[in-house]
Amino acid sequence: MKKYIIILLFCNLSLLGCSEFDEDINVNPNIPGEASGTQLIANAQLYLPSLSSSPQGEFLAQYLAETQYVGVSLYPEGSTNFYWFYEGPLMNLETVLNSEEDLNAAEGPVANQLAVAKILKAYFYWNLTDRWGDVPYTEALQGNKNFTPAYDTQESIYSNLFALLKEANSQIVAGDIDNDLVYGGNMEKWKKLGNSLRLLMALRLSEVDPQWAQDEFNAAMADGVMNTNDDSLVFQHLADANNQNYWYDQVVESNREWWALTVNLVEEMKPVDDPRLEVYANPARESGEFIGMPYGETEAIGTEEYSLLGSDITAQDAPVYLVTYPQVLFAIAEAAERDWVTEDAETYYNLAIEKSVLQWTGSTEGVDEFISQPEVAFDPANALERISEQRWIHLFMNGYEAWSEWRRTGFPNDFVQPEGRPVPTRLAYPDTEDFNNADNFNEAVERQFGGEDSIYGTVWWDE
Amino acid sequence: MRNKITLFSFLIALVQFMNVQAQERVISGTVISAQKSMPIPGVNVIIEGTNKGTVTDFDGNFSIKAETGDVLSFSSIGYKTVKRTVGSNDQINVQLEADLQALDEVVVTALGISRDKKSLGYATQEVDGEDLTVAKDQNVIGALGGRVAGVQVTGSSGASMGGTQKIKIRGVNSIGGGDQPLIVIDGTPISNANFAGSAGADYGNLGQDVNPADIESVNVLKGPAASALYGIRGQYGVIMITTKKGAAEKFTVQANSTFSVQSTYDFMPLQNMYGGGSSLDFRTLPNGDPYVDISVDESWGPRMDGTMVRQVFSFYPQDPTYGQLTPFVPHPDNIKDFYETGYTFNNTVSVAGGGEKINFRISLNDTKIEGVEPNTHLDRNNLTVHADADVVDKINVSTNFTFARNDAQRPGQGSEFGANYLVQWFQRNVDMNRLRDYQYEDGTYLHWNLSRPSSETGEVTDFDPLYWNNPFFNAYENLSQDNRDRFFGDVGITFQVLENLSLSGHIRGDLYTQNIQERTAFGGKSLPSFYIGKFQNKEFNYEFLAQFDEEWGDLSLNASLGGNIWNRNYTYLTMATVGGLSSPGFYNIDASIDRPETSNYLLRKQVRSLFGLVSLGYADTFFVDASLRNDNSSALPDDNNSYWYPSISGSVIFSEFLDWDPLSFAKARASYAQAGSDLSPYETTMGFGVGTVYEGTNTLFVPDNLNNPNIEPSFAHSYELGLDLRFFDSRLGFDFTYYEQKNKNQIINLDVSGASGYGSTTINAGLIENKGIEVAINARPIETGKFFWDTNLNFASNESMVVELAPGIDVYTYSSTTYSSVTSFLNSYEGKPFGSLVGTAYQRDEATGQILLGDDNMPLYTDETHNFGSVLPDFTGGFSNTFSYGNWRLSGMIEFQGGGQFFSRSKMLAVRTGQDPVTVAMNDRGANVRDPLDQGGGVKVEGISAETGEPVSAYVNARSYYRNVLGRRIYEEWLFDASYIKMKELRLGYNLTKEILGNFPVESVQLAVIAQNPFMIWQEAPEGIDPSAISTGAQSISWYESGQLPSVRSIGVDVNITF
Repeated sequence: MKKYIIILLFCNLSLLGCSEFDEDINVNPNIPGEASGTQLIANAQLYLPSLSSSPQGEFLAQYLAETQYVGVSLYPEGSTNFYWFYEGPLMNLETVLNSEEDLNAAEGPVANQLAVAKILKAYFYWNLTDRWGDVPYTEALQGNKNFTPAYDTQESIYSNLFALLKEANSQIVAGDIDNDLVYGGNMEKWKKLGNSLRLLMALRLSEVDPQWAQDEFNAAMADGVMNTNDDSLVFQHLADANNQNYWYDQVVESNREWWALTVNLVEEMKPVDDPRLEVYANPARESGEFIGMPYGETEAIGTEEYSLLGSDITAQDAPVYLVTYPQVLFAIAEAAERDWVTEDAETYYNLAIEKSVLQWTGSTEGVDEFISQPEVAFDPANALERISEQRWIHLFMNGYEAWSEWRRTGFPNDFVQPEGRPVPTRLAYPDTEDFNNADNFNEAVERQFGGEDSIYGTVWWDE
Repeated sequence: MRNKITLFSFLIALVQFMNVQAQERVISGTVISAQKSMPIPGVNVIIEGTNKGTVTDFDGNFSIKAETGDVLSFSSIGYKTVKRTVGSNDQINVQLEADLQALDEVVVTALGISRDKKSLGYATQEVDGEDLTVAKDQNVIGALGGRVAGVQVTGSSGASMGGTQKIKIRGVNSIGGGDQPLIVIDGTPISNANFAGSAGADYGNLGQDVNPADIESVNVLKGPAASALYGIRGQYGVIMITTKKGAAEKFTVQANSTFSVQSTYDFMPLQNMYGGGSSLDFRTLPNGDPYVDISVDESWGPRMDGTMVRQVFSFYPQDPTYGQLTPFVPHPDNIKDFYETGYTFNNTVSVAGGGEKINFRISLNDTKIEGVEPNTHLDRNNLTVHADADVVDKINVSTNFTFARNDAQRPGQGSEFGANYLVQWFQRNVDMNRLRDYQYEDGTYLHWNLSRPSSETGEVTDFDPLYWNNPFFNAYENLSQDNRDRFFGDVGITFQVLENLSLSGHIRGDLYTQNIQERTAFGGKSLPSFYIGKFQNKEFNYEFLAQFDEEWGDLSLNASLGGNIWNRNYTYLTMATVGGLSSPGFYNIDASIDRPETSNYLLRKQVRSLFGLVSLGYADTFFVDASLRNDNSSALPDDNNSYWYPSISGSVIFSEFLDWDPLSFAKARASYAQAGSDLSPYETTMGFGVGTVYEGTNTLFVPDNLNNPNIEPSFAHSYELGLDLRFFDSRLGFDFTYYEQKNKNQIINLDVSGASGYGSTTINAGLIENKGIEVAINARPIETGKFFWDTNLNFASNESMVVELAPGIDVYTYSSTTYSSVTSFLNSYEGKPFGSLVGTAYQRDEATGQILLGDDNMPLYTDETHNFGSVLPDFTGGFSNTFSYGNWRLSGMIEFQGGGQFFSRSKMLAVRTGQDPVTVAMNDRGANVRDPLDQGGGVKVEGISAETGEPVSAYVNARSYYRNVLGRRIYEEWLFDASYIKMKELRLGYNLTKEILGNFPVESVQLAVIAQNPFMIWQEAPEGIDPSAISTGAQSISWYESGQLPSVRSIGVDVNITF
């Protein structure tokens, strides 16, 4: 108190010194002023499950049908926000990439920290552009330097991401990094992930630019892709409410029996005794059988008579499969079919299914028998369709990825059109872009879709 | 508690002591006008320093009990007040002189400096303490509603119990809409913070810790001209509260007791034809019994025609109706039945007195409220003390302080809490009275919304509620409890150096501890949880002030020079369980299953200020004021933290030059001033956010808001012109103000494209220009014999224009709300009035304006960017009247608002869920709209086909139309005009004077019947939505409502006894 009286008198008498405060008075003691690179990367990794765990993705890939609030499964027009990609993981990663000189090598080689940030950045951007089309890239993530970033074309974003992943591949050195939630710091796995991403991204261009696709595909393979299920990018949820599975929160905790497996999926799996079905679904309570629900009911429907999500899928600590070794195998099988590579399509197809069954069930028992069924076995006459259908079954619950593959290949070709509405071919941009970034937003919509930001516009690679 | 009893016994003892000591006798006399020698009726005769008084009758006669030495004060509007000391004579006759100079009103201005009202060059409007307690509003902010031109009070319904009342002075002055005036009580700035969100329990604005019964007067400093001396804290005006003090040589004890009951009213009308379900037919159990679809929380089900069906209760094996069929009939009052009659019991005792050198007043208040929502209550206590003493010659020490205590269990606001969801989601057939006993003896909870019975056994196997808890479960198990202890006040010393020079120093403090606990119980819809928070504020002002007065002939000078240091230290600690609770009934952070969420926070801030004021007067006719303040804030960037705030104002009393009889007083005034507002600490530097901990890895992230190291405080420039006219011996007064306020450099978190990496950024933005007028008219139109009519009208009209936002930014989103993936926004657009409501509208044919219809004949709607215009009202005001007849007094206060609009999600969802009467209307084919289309049913839709351009007139399925299109997608349909005229307060009082009381040992007794919010006179919005109470909690601008608490009227009796 005395201090204040002295300051008061001093200020009054001298008119000086009033603006000199204790140095630390305006330093926020409640948040850290510094963050290490790997802590920022770890936070970005926490967003990985959000790339997959969403009813919207499951509807787009027609894995799940909505039992209660059916309106959302009828493909209504409406925007989907993408700001969380930028504000969340990408800004953390960008901060790491921009602070190379501040990174602490005690947490693992700086080059490796940067490489991991690049690989994750590429993965998030890949998802972003595949869902919406052109999005801000080169001018994005610059904070107050540019609050209205222009939209880059999808083509240029792909080109940038290939380059980014190549940089990552070539800069990885020996030495683990700390605070890695997905690979425990193992750089070998990161390297394989980066190259596998390139491989899968290359395949995405099969229709729009086959030559480029083939070149990138081969380059990625040469750099070394995943070769075991342990290489897969999997986000492991924990039996802890702070880190729990989205579907646990929804289905178990909130008691939401809102999702049943679709007829499409069950009818693909049940007749061939697919061992994965009992992981994907619980039998219907009424009959004890696996029964799919028709996609796109227009009224709320009972949940007793249909197969709801499997208990493994809704476990609190369930894994979320993001980029998997079987996906890489399916990609190689398809590339072989396209004559991009010399490997044998059937071998890779069979291996892909085997590894998928292993991934989902933990066992490969009876897989050969399963594959040998005519409905499953490789069919050279309809190779692309077979590969695509089996890939669709494998990608269960990774709806957005399966939907992208459907957009690219057109398979499975029996998706339902609820109330006559076809499956959307992209997500509409966030409405708030029309407030916050109107000029660039309008330019991008005009450039790609002739002015209409609809869910039925097609992205560049979707020929 | 023990202390309270002790104090009370002390007061009683004092009363007895006074009764023995008093040597009172009846003094009588006549009051006449000095000019006309006519008797003056209605003159207030008051014993100074007390509340004892009487009024002269038609012949100017009065009589009053007084004792030798009492000072009688005779006052009446338009006359100069005369004081007489009671001597040995029992007869006192008085002549009153007309007060052509108008009243020599003294008002308390900025920094507590008392000024002659006529010398001020800016508008001030005072409210008497008496007017604030007409209907015993517990919240001083709420009580100000309608009393001051240009001051708009908004808040939630009385059902919130001590909920937030917000005040806006002269419209919206900040882009963020969060502008709230500074509250100053006896010179001490106090916090008016708010711990409520826009949903959940509303803990109320902290300004309500002032007991309205302790208030002598409130002066509202409406803009920078008046508040410039508060500099960086003055931009949004100041509410100056002066409390009652003791009077010299007089000892009084006053007791006030109010008892009132609160009841709910104005429920939204709902249909009573169709019950719960989603189709017109019943579902059936395996045995063929029809049952109500208990898994649906809507009323699109079968007709409630008395069919015998299995209802939800019959599925509980513990229920007496288990397995039984009961008639399917409506329960028209099933929402109303949830609420109870609340009551409020408010008692205040005060003791005031003093001697030659000392002066004191102590008051103690105890308030108990039981809410209209079951199991809610609020207990409050206030102890307020004023004391001052001339300790030695020329040195006076003084103190004012209040200790306030609040302890509450409050209802939640918003559609996710209590019973507020029922108007949005419910079955019209559910009997609320059956839900009251929400737990069976074996512990099973009763809910109304469950999963369907098994199609094999016909039994319900899962008794967890599906979407909604039984509202009684919410009320009795999911408790929200809060309490606050608070101490604010000052100690000061004044040294009268010379007769015209005084120096004073004050230390002023405001300290509180707010505790909040919230429980989510086992057995409900949500994961059990527990939250606890402790918030502590320590705010001190160290103040020095020198005041100098001098007169040289016609010239007068007032000068003040002062300094102030404001120091704030605020901390909180909050914790919440994660992943559930380990055992039922154990509400503790220890019970958290997973790592609990905790947060501790420290805020430090200091502002150092210097200020000076010079006021010159000439011949009591011309006045000029100038002031200057320098503020240095620790929250601003180091190198740029010092700002200057000047003001200048002038006035001329031009009635001095006019010789026109009817005009008794006329003043013109003009002013220019600047004031500012600061930012919170830590907004100039960046840090990192602490993310989720994953298996021991503590993740960190880049925050979504980008701070700005170059931020400046915001600034307001204000210009004001005014005219104060009084006519007919001041029986008619007219006060007119025109103002312009330019608010620059608003500190806002501007939403930016998330692609920049940040969701928002702190910037200095824009210019909001407010222009408006304020008119206050007061009159005594009738004054005959014992009958008087006093009337007051306040009217204000304001326009807030967003002239500029930020470079490259032409829209600012203040707030948004999303339901079922459809969002509406409150946006500000550059070049448009503040606060546009934005959302989905009907698509319309450009040529005819008709609605466009799709292939299915359903209306088409736009995207979410349609601008429906400003939500702010065109004008606001209050109209108060007092009729006196003899000892009777009837007062009423009407509050009104013209224009403005809001979005009602409650109405939208009532329609969506088939509860609104429109969903059972008859169509023009004579059938109910719910009837099948082929039987003449359906809603008639008219418009233009989007595809063909041809006019269409067709019938569509009512459920699809209301539930899936209108009630979900088309917000245009759910916007309502916010205009209203509301009877806010009524009071009918009777004064028992000494003559009536005879030898009863009390001085006077006032009895009154009071009513608060008795009824809405008129509103544009549909029944059941109160446009005067749509904002909840801390939501600063009223623009949408969802799950509004029911309207509450309070009616009671008030007894005031003076000993």
